[in-house]
Amino acid sequence: MRYITTIEDREYLIEILDDNHVSVDGVLYEVDIESLSDQPVHSLLVNGKSYEAYISSGDLGWDVLLRGNRYILQVEDEREKRLRAGLGGGPAITGEYHLKSPMPGMVVSIPVSEGQSISTGDVLVILESMKMQNELISPRDGNVTRLRVKPGDSVERRETILTVS
Amino acid sequence: MFNKVLIANRGEIAIRIIRACRELGLQTVAVFSEADRQSLHVRNADEAYLLGPAPARESYLRADKIIDIAKKSGTGAIHPGYGFLAERADFAQACLDEGLAFIGPKPSSIAAMGDKEVARATVASSGVPVVPGTEGEGSLNDEDLLALAPEIGFPLLVKATAGGGGKGMREVNHIEEMPALLQAARREAEASFGDGNVYLEKLVEGARHIEFQILADTQGNVIHLGERECSIQRRHQKLLEEAPSPFIGNDDELRQQMGAVAVRAARAVDYVNAGTIEFLVDKEKNYYFLEMNTRLQVEHPVTEMVTGMDIVREQIRIARGRQMRHTQDDITLYGWSIECRINAEDPFNNFIPSTGRISHLILPTGPGIRVDMGVYTGFDISPYYDSLISKLVVGGETRGEAILRMRRALEEYKIVGVHTNIPFHQHLMDSHRFMAAQYDTRFVEERFSMGDADEGKQDLSEIAAILATFVAHQQTQRAAQFIQRGERDTSNWKWVSRWERMQR
Repeated sequence: MRYITTIEDREYLIEILDDNHVSVDGVLYEVDIESLSDQPVHSLLVNGKSYEAYISSGDLGWDVLLRGNRYILQVEDEREKRLRAGLGGGPAITGEYHLKSPMPGMVVSIPVSEGQSISTGDVLVILESMKMQNELISPRDGNVTRLRVKPGDSVERRETILTVS
Repeated sequence: MFNKVLIANRGEIAIRIIRACRELGLQTVAVFSEADRQSLHVRNADEAYLLGPAPARESYLRADKIIDIAKKSGTGAIHPGYGFLAERADFAQACLDEGLAFIGPKPSSIAAMGDKEVARATVASSGVPVVPGTEGEGSLNDEDLLALAPEIGFPLLVKATAGGGGKGMREVNHIEEMPALLQAARREAEASFGDGNVYLEKLVEGARHIEFQILADTQGNVIHLGERECSIQRRHQKLLEEAPSPFIGNDDELRQQMGAVAVRAARAVDYVNAGTIEFLVDKEKNYYFLEMNTRLQVEHPVTEMVTGMDIVREQIRIARGRQMRHTQDDITLYGWSIECRINAEDPFNNFIPSTGRISHLILPTGPGIRVDMGVYTGFDISPYYDSLISKLVVGGETRGEAILRMRRALEEYKIVGVHTNIPFHQHLMDSHRFMAAQYDTRFVEERFSMGDADEGKQDLSEIAAILATFVAHQQTQRAAQFIQRGERDTSNWKWVSRWERMQR
């Protein structure tokens, strides 16, 4: 299987040959990957070098926490990607992003309004939880298309607060 | 003299106090909210009693219920820990009224130091310098505060009178934004301490936050255990502490001078038991009294590491009326200690608190490591209390050794199920400014970024790519197999013959 894996603007062509062999941009690596104690924690041996990472998939793609750094990656089947490119599809991050509450809490204020254009890092909502006021920021550029809460509302964990597209 | 202690707290600090009691051969009583039935402090104590629903207001802040439980269980003393009721003079008084020892200072000292305005006026009158602000002016309303603000000058801080730990605190840069920030500070103060009063204080720029640990017994002996540097903060919440302070460093004269001032400040309010005098120190080594914390501090372990003392045990001995075994001359600082506060927060997403179940946990161990924690695998981090889940403390002979050890410990530490700020600490340990001890209280907010790849650090993008691709691949394979298994309910021989026919 051949995949195109993207980190920010860097692309890797990764071919998984079998359970222990992978080629990255044409370079062959001997690998051994194990999931530890049925957890999303993976141990990887690459040409004898040992790494451990926490891997999960989220709204923005695959999330790899490795040696104190976080990497957000898109993994796409090569065929799928070519097909999409043929159809004139854009980069992987398109469609809607639903901002979900990371914890139960109360909405203190919403500094954005419906239809407003926003950029990465803008504060979307201020939420009070764990006795602190927390700013929820936008992970990407876009427009606020739908607000589902108003100041004073209580939200549950994983409840959608607003949508960016 | 008491033989049973009730711990009016939860989390790691309740565990810490239970440990000290155990080592002294004292019985322990835990109290808990409905959200904490499965907490470690309930499991570790000799006795445990339910207080009420999860919100602190209905459980850990219910002084009446706590005293009631103490009496029913035959408890002789109450240790309040930090936060909750720790700095409430009325609670300390209520304990004494019921014949219970309060493991902390006298109610009058809490009242004097706990009200930040009175505290500043008291120490100022004993010749200790204070930061300009609305000290000693009583509880002012928004109108008065707005009128006084220009006199103090901007930037300034709005702080909760009953506060601590950065809660109910706001920084104001212009008069126009002040009314809204006053409201926010009052609301947060009300929610955290049940008291919405605030005061103003000039913001010392380029300041370092250095505090002195005090111990005082009922015989009138007061000593200090040296200082802690707590300048690594974010929104006035401490994230990392070290002892001694790299800023004071080898300047033993400054250390003894500030220590003597701290002892004088404690004496000014007739202080007993453990307390902390906080100073702001500017670049020219001018120091100002900030406040006194009339309780055990979160960061007390770094002092324990460099002095070899057990502060909680000393607290209990003092509360039992014993004289301190140590005089000021006995106190020597040995080596270096660093504490990282491990919070359930996502450092890659604006430090948003994270809740959920801890599904996997591996603690760092080995030489020079201490972990104080109140959680375990399978424990739910709830949104009701603060986000501190553990304190990782290391000791080394030098600061450099302590940093290297902390780096090693952070790499070993695995917590799965909630986001933690471990990556933040890892980046901090790699930061050249931190290594060179060139930081002040604004460092994290203004000159530190999680995105910075420090030079010389290996880029692991390719490894991350291999990992993510493999895991994604395994996931698709598994999904595919799941479908295939269902399809193969007929004999494989039939499958082969069908397949062959199709290929003709």
